[in-house]
Amino acid sequence: MEATREIYWNVGHGVILPMYGFFAAAAGAMAYGFYKKLAVYRSGKALDRVSGPADRLARAVSWALAQLKVLRNPFPGLFHAGFFWGFLLLTAGTTLIMAQEDFTARLFGLRFLQGDFYRGFSFVLDIAGLAAIVALLVFFVRRFLYRPKGLDTAADDCLAHALLFFILVTGFVIEGARMAVTELHANPELARFSPVGLLVAGLLPGDPSALEGLHKTLWWTHMFAAFGFIAMIPFSKLRHLFLIPVNYFFSDTGPLGGLKTIDLADESAQTFGAEKVNELSWKDIYDSDACVSCKRCQDECPAYATGKTLSPMKVIQDLRGSAFAGPETDIIAAVTDKALWACTTCRSCQTTCPAAVEHVPKIIEMRRNLTLMKGEFAGEEGRAAVSSLEVNKNPFGLPNASRADWAAGLGVKPLSEDPSADILYFAGCYASFDRRNKAVAAKFMEICAKAGVKAGLLGKEEQCCGEPARKLGNEYLYQELAGENIKAFAKYGVKKIVTACPHCRHTLGVHYRDLGFEGNVVHYTVFIKELIDSGKLKLKAEPFEFTYHDSCYMSRYSGITEEPRAVLAAAGGSLAEMERHGDRNFCCGGGGGRALLEEKEGTKISVERVKMARATGRPVVVSNCPFCLTMLEDGIKTADCETALKARDLAEVVAERLA
Amino acid sequence: MKILVCVKQIPDMASKFKPNADGTWFNEADLAFRMNEYDEYAVEEAVKLREKDPASELVVLSVGPARVVEALKKALAMGCDRAVHVQDDNVFRKDPWQIASLIAAYAKKENFDIVFTGMQSQDRGSAQIGPLLAGMLGFSCVTTVIGFSLEGRTATVRRELEGGAKGIVKAALPAVITCQLGLNTPRYPTLPNIMKAKKKEIAAFKAEELSAEAALSAAEKFYAPVKKGTGLVLEGGDAASLAGKLIDVLKEKTTVLRG
Amino acid sequence: MKTLLVFEYRRGKLSEANQELLGFAAAAGGESAGVLVGSEAGLPAFGGKLYLGDIAALGEYDPGRHAEIVLQAAQKESPDLIVFLQSSYGWDLAPRVAGKLKAAQISDVTGVVDGKFEAACCNGKMRRLVEPATKVAVLTLQEGSFPVSGTPSGTPAVEKLAPSGSAAGLEFAGYEEAEKKEVDLGKAEVIVSAGRGIGKKDNVPVIAALAKSLNGEMGASRPVVDAGWVDHNRQVGATGQIVSPKLYVACAISGAIQHLTGMRNSEFIVAINTDKDAPISEVADVMVIADVMPFVAALTEKLKK
Repeated sequence: MEATREIYWNVGHGVILPMYGFFAAAAGAMAYGFYKKLAVYRSGKALDRVSGPADRLARAVSWALAQLKVLRNPFPGLFHAGFFWGFLLLTAGTTLIMAQEDFTARLFGLRFLQGDFYRGFSFVLDIAGLAAIVALLVFFVRRFLYRPKGLDTAADDCLAHALLFFILVTGFVIEGARMAVTELHANPELARFSPVGLLVAGLLPGDPSALEGLHKTLWWTHMFAAFGFIAMIPFSKLRHLFLIPVNYFFSDTGPLGGLKTIDLADESAQTFGAEKVNELSWKDIYDSDACVSCKRCQDECPAYATGKTLSPMKVIQDLRGSAFAGPETDIIAAVTDKALWACTTCRSCQTTCPAAVEHVPKIIEMRRNLTLMKGEFAGEEGRAAVSSLEVNKNPFGLPNASRADWAAGLGVKPLSEDPSADILYFAGCYASFDRRNKAVAAKFMEICAKAGVKAGLLGKEEQCCGEPARKLGNEYLYQELAGENIKAFAKYGVKKIVTACPHCRHTLGVHYRDLGFEGNVVHYTVFIKELIDSGKLKLKAEPFEFTYHDSCYMSRYSGITEEPRAVLAAAGGSLAEMERHGDRNFCCGGGGGRALLEEKEGTKISVERVKMARATGRPVVVSNCPFCLTMLEDGIKTADCETALKARDLAEVVAERLA
Repeated sequence: MKILVCVKQIPDMASKFKPNADGTWFNEADLAFRMNEYDEYAVEEAVKLREKDPASELVVLSVGPARVVEALKKALAMGCDRAVHVQDDNVFRKDPWQIASLIAAYAKKENFDIVFTGMQSQDRGSAQIGPLLAGMLGFSCVTTVIGFSLEGRTATVRRELEGGAKGIVKAALPAVITCQLGLNTPRYPTLPNIMKAKKKEIAAFKAEELSAEAALSAAEKFYAPVKKGTGLVLEGGDAASLAGKLIDVLKEKTTVLRG
Repeated sequence: MKTLLVFEYRRGKLSEANQELLGFAAAAGGESAGVLVGSEAGLPAFGGKLYLGDIAALGEYDPGRHAEIVLQAAQKESPDLIVFLQSSYGWDLAPRVAGKLKAAQISDVTGVVDGKFEAACCNGKMRRLVEPATKVAVLTLQEGSFPVSGTPSGTPAVEKLAPSGSAAGLEFAGYEEAEKKEVDLGKAEVIVSAGRGIGKKDNVPVIAALAKSLNGEMGASRPVVDAGWVDHNRQVGATGQIVSPKLYVACAISGAIQHLTGMRNSEFIVAINTDKDAPISEVADVMVIADVMPFVAALTEKLKK
């Protein structure tokens, strides 16, 4: 007996015309819905997110099909992937049926849904449907019974759940009814390839005419449900089916943590940053529409976790609400400046977002507006820090002429006195002026000396890299500071820069490119790793137990997570990871210029991080960022656990183990 | 209404000061300069007044070497309409009488209704320019102002007095107002205003062309003060051991830890 | 050397700071006369000639006519120096008098060296030695720089003066009281004050804890009060309270002159600061060079034991 089935069994080929008519209506409604959105997206400013289309397409398809971004969180990511793959297969299966029966068979008499292919087709689709139902049940339990904190359920969530469940279940009942009347008797061998259908068929009553009636009714309702689903896509969160894969196509192909550099020479510019919807880019608006409020960003946000006004998810949703309210809508009023100033720019929201939404640049754009257009600050201390940066070129208000005082007696000289250095050590403000971090810088100088590396300094010609100013929205001040540093690099023909601070590293190495500096900039951790690998630096491993705190600007901004662990292992360290580590690390609270600001709202981010370090039971938390070291030590003091936990810098640990 | 605001550029007060070559003032090398804090209050108040009356004009003036143009630019970015730079590389040798004379000579070229300036400069700290200038121009003058309002041609100001009290004074225009901390919070210039300021006029005058008044006093020496305290310095070691040392000193030298 | 001392009234009373004028006169040597816009009911304990303008007629703030009284006295006395206090009265009046006379004025004088005057500059961090080139010079004295030894005594020989004109340009419209003081720092034996260098409002309780462990009160410098970290009634300084406790601990206070004015007469002064050369070192009996917050915490801990 032929392994196939009669398509349009029981309903007849007469349904084709009305079916395609309804399909056209549903597809038309969907197209109209998306078309309406286009105008909203277009209210944003121009931005190139299409160049290199082949690579973009490959990325979009692979990310979407592999469910790469969703699977970052195995639960519920795996179920989302299961549902996605299941539903995708079912859609593909339905499409194949239509392709054969309404096109190839009619036009060329070609039928491919038969034989082994049909057996496989039947089996795969049955399993796909089952997987989708299981996933949907898990989603149902999670969303409606378990109700995780922060997951908001709206009417369209309920409707989508109901509709999908209905489509999947009616699909199986239709199959079961058909099989009960036909296959079960006529071709029981084939029925085994539809295990779920077989099961359902067994559960149905035996009267063939009743089954045929049930089949017919359900066939139509299933069809209407499926078309209803198609029609509602743009009008509900289901829009993400299209918007997110397309957003993968549009996502930033530049270096991690890139920001738009404002052209300050452009005299036609009237406004800076974004205050209104139409001052955002179209991509920002598109992003907001691609967001499905899955709350992963909110779950990982250190500001949200410590009771601040900020939720990255809410920011994006506020932008979406504003975008659909009109191009002139005040987005800062919607998001609130309190939320904007709370961001540490740690990038965990952006890294974890399955929709590839770019949160941080939007927050910076709005901060730019507050700073550059309104002259506002996060607080008096923010104003004082900016004023110090303007006058003294460091946020502490100390005389910049004393910038290299920390190196007195260490045998390191400014390039102005001795330009023959192998590397320029860009100490940055903390290592230059903060006592704790000055000691760390001195240790790194010891390491360089031991490895035979001659380090030079810029001394009083070094200025703040501009990172805190830039992240607080003060692009003008950033470019002034950066400009002076770049001039100094050019003056001494600097090629290789080693920084004390991951923030300096990222700013000099990534952001300065837009301003014309192309030198090689590495963080000292990476440099130490290079020295060890090349045999120039030998460590004697002395065992110690520690936990490692990734700096956001190492992990999520620079993709550096292995090097520090390798160096610390070479030093004899035994690492116990905190739950939040690597590119999932929890910020110390010091990024985004926040190290210079008071943390008045909620609890201290640093204390939260110290708790996580304490949970490892290790006596030492090693970090390699001046902000992190400062914040962690603050957190340890505030949490009153100075005897149980010490914060140390990687350079200190290494310097103690020089062979 | 024509408004003048006089500003000085001064070194950051956190700097370490070293005498210059002739030993009469500080050496400018390695110093970071900024607008005198009290003058920032003056600029803010002047800009606020300027904004109330679109027909008014606000001029900012500074005396000094080329670097003071930065302070003028900041004032322009804060909202002054145009700037006057009285060029004088040796302004540090001039006494308040000479500086007030330079300003007065310029101010007489235009009919200003009101002049704002800081109550004193943070570096020289003479607190004389305002009243001297008022005297030279025949204006009324109120110093140390922490509150200002204008109705018609009468300004009502609050003067800061000792112990936190304030004196309320009504001053008829034309007047010189010297501004004190607490008067206002100076605005941070917005980027569009910084850009606009780049195109605003900065008129330059040579000091010697404005006034040839001789100095009434001359500085001989610039130095750090002799310390009056007993000069005991505790440093080094960790906080706990330092605290122990301080407690020993307090036990020996004071009575507060007894009983 | 002949000096004309310009005494002052503050809020209807002779200012105690007038004593510093006598201290200066003693330091400068030579003859001295005084001038005061005040009333016969309250005259300074000064044995010389005193020119008196009637405060009932002139009011406490009428710099035009007050200056005229001083000028009349100066004309009668032909002094070498006309000496004011560096106060809200003195710094307002002195340049008006100096301007009229086209006399050199030296402000914020902290000392006399060989007939030249030492004046504070750079926020009190530095000094200039200035020599007047005019026959008569006007000085304003930094408070606390010329302490008088012993209790001044004497009764002045009063000569009344009246200005020729009426008040012009300015009209005094009364006082606005300082906010009520709930804390009387003046009575505290120990004061521990917080400066802007403590960094943030959150650190205020740490300073307060040290004050408590010393059975004292917490004070603050003006920037800390202006920042809203500490209430105004705890401000120490020229515009806050003038204090002289047995022990004054200045935490992260660099020592702006207006603060020094408020606390320099304390019996024993401890300054905790990272900058050894901060102006506070000028008056401190002990400088502790340390990061302020950890040190204060450690000190409080030790004092508890």
